[in-house]
Amino acid sequence: MNEAYATIVFLFVLFTLLGSSIWIGLALMGVAWVGMELFTVRPAGDAMITTIWTGASSWTLTALPLFIWMGEILYRTRLSQDMFRGLAPWMRWLPGGLLHTNIAGCTIFAAVSGSSAATLTTVGKMSIPELRKRGYPEYMIVGTLAGAATLGLMIPPSLTLIVYGVSINESIIKLFMAGIFPGLVLAALFMSYIVCWHYLRPNERPPPEPSMSLGEMIAESRFLIPVLMLVFAVIGSMYFGWATATEAAAVGVLGSLTLAAFQRSLTTSAFFESLMGATRTSAMIALILMGAAFLSLSMGFTGLPRALAAWIDNMQLSPITLIAALTLFYIVLGMFLDGISSVVLTMAIVEPMIRQAGIDVIWFGIFIVVVVEMAQVTPPIGFNLFVLQGMTRHEIGYISKTAIPMVGLMLLMVVILVAFPELATWLPENIRQ
Amino acid sequence: MRDWSPIMGLPLWVWLFVIPSLIAVLCLIAGPRLERPLRPLWRVLDALYFASGVLAAFFMVTILTLIVAQMVARWTGYALPGTTEFAGYAMAATSFFALCHALTRGAHIRVSIILNANRFLKRWLDVFAVFGAAVIATYFARYAIKANIFSEMLNDRTQGQDQIPEWVVTLFSLPSRALGDWGQAMAESSGELVYTPVWIPQLAMSIGTILLAIALWDTLYRMLVTGVNPIVSEVVE
Repeated sequence: MNEAYATIVFLFVLFTLLGSSIWIGLALMGVAWVGMELFTVRPAGDAMITTIWTGASSWTLTALPLFIWMGEILYRTRLSQDMFRGLAPWMRWLPGGLLHTNIAGCTIFAAVSGSSAATLTTVGKMSIPELRKRGYPEYMIVGTLAGAATLGLMIPPSLTLIVYGVSINESIIKLFMAGIFPGLVLAALFMSYIVCWHYLRPNERPPPEPSMSLGEMIAESRFLIPVLMLVFAVIGSMYFGWATATEAAAVGVLGSLTLAAFQRSLTTSAFFESLMGATRTSAMIALILMGAAFLSLSMGFTGLPRALAAWIDNMQLSPITLIAALTLFYIVLGMFLDGISSVVLTMAIVEPMIRQAGIDVIWFGIFIVVVVEMAQVTPPIGFNLFVLQGMTRHEIGYISKTAIPMVGLMLLMVVILVAFPELATWLPENIRQ
Repeated sequence: MRDWSPIMGLPLWVWLFVIPSLIAVLCLIAGPRLERPLRPLWRVLDALYFASGVLAAFFMVTILTLIVAQMVARWTGYALPGTTEFAGYAMAATSFFALCHALTRGAHIRVSIILNANRFLKRWLDVFAVFGAAVIATYFARYAIKANIFSEMLNDRTQGQDQIPEWVVTLFSLPSRALGDWGQAMAESSGELVYTPVWIPQLAMSIGTILLAIALWDTLYRMLVTGVNPIVSEVVE
């Protein structure tokens, strides 16, 4: 009974503070404080600072600002032009044509950036005007871009996975490795959607591209080589055990600075913008993590997570039912919160639950990323929708409608993950230590 | 030390919560008339938040430098003890110093669905939210300072392998000494390595949270005086 009371109080205060639009990190602190004062006799303020300080000064977290910075640098280089020019010659032969540059571009940029919004802007900046010029239907341009940009959250480096790994104390490298194959499968699903469109709506196809010789194709794609080298340096150094996640991030920052210097595309002011932008984004995530750390502590003192885990355990749910319920839960949550906030907010409760149910936590990390990816493109709050609205001047409603097939494919991805868990767990079990 | 014991005749919570709220009421009553006299102060504060952001960026570069140094040291067979701890301190400094800068540039995220429902909510729910956030941030800062003071009093040292020269510790403790003693204190402290006292990296937490609280109260006052929220988020172009 006491647990039910605590749950209601926590939820009520949480919804009040979040709903009254207090910044998420501070709102979580407020909820945690109420919980501490009501349900424990411990000094709330002192416990809060101890937890926050330990979390904020942790070594694992240092990968976060560096990966953000790397993405910020590349975002400010000529990479978007180069990517479109380099990919277009190869994609024109596929059924569905240049629409595939949206998917391939997002996949490549996702491998150097951990954020979905940065992926979306970098790829869309170039592909939206180019695809429009060639007469591809608007709903396909916008929809595929909205969906594919969410790969930024899944393919390493991924900010969501770093935050997840830090919250539950799991190896970030393992989580990163786990994200590779599911990310590629999801990209393949998006591409097959474009292929289906090509055959089902032949009247919407734009005129075919002029032909191009193999020599020209290779010449055009030479611009892609530096960024692909960067991808292999960052992911490879982690896979072969040469570097920790933080060290790989440092390699990534130095690599992207070298790449930018080589292209002569990074001015001094752009360099400082990238630095300040990365500082702000990392502070934004840090504040949410601080609030969430205090909230986990507060909920831990009340015994709520353990009680809920035991309750779920008593219901004798099969793991599949539990996953289905959690999918639904995260989709609803994702309608109002961004991915990182929903992950940190729920981990204190969900972690004991899944450990009790015997679900692999690395696998669950990938599952949760797919589910919060959907949240990026579902109204009323979906970050990709806002960014796309700014870029294309379409209504949110229109953009989210174009993205519905993508959400369907992501749901299919959840099913695939449940059916073939090895997709996520095989690679992390086989990395060189 | 009690948490809210009186200072200058008034309990600490009056100073931290009641007086700032009274100023807010004053701003609401006086309205736009206060805009002209306050403008120079706002410019100073804006510069302060920006400076704090620059300091945070400096610490981010420090993280990069430390990690690269550690990698190079490992490849060349040297040992650099304590690098991970120092990187952790730099991480904390990056996060805390950037809090106020990120706030004023609209980088922190909030759930704005109810906020954008109508014009009345857009104004008054926003005022409530900023007020609530300011109260929470002030509470945060108050305990950050308390933890910081306790670390110093208990002479709490790092759990790791990180060491700094003794004179650095003295340098940071100078503000607590009389100005005349500074030279002597520095002359007496040696270059000997000591385990890092926790209160030094924690200074970033105290300063950063104080600035965040100031920035939130400042935002509230500006909103009440001018009628618009000064925080404009820069959505990715």
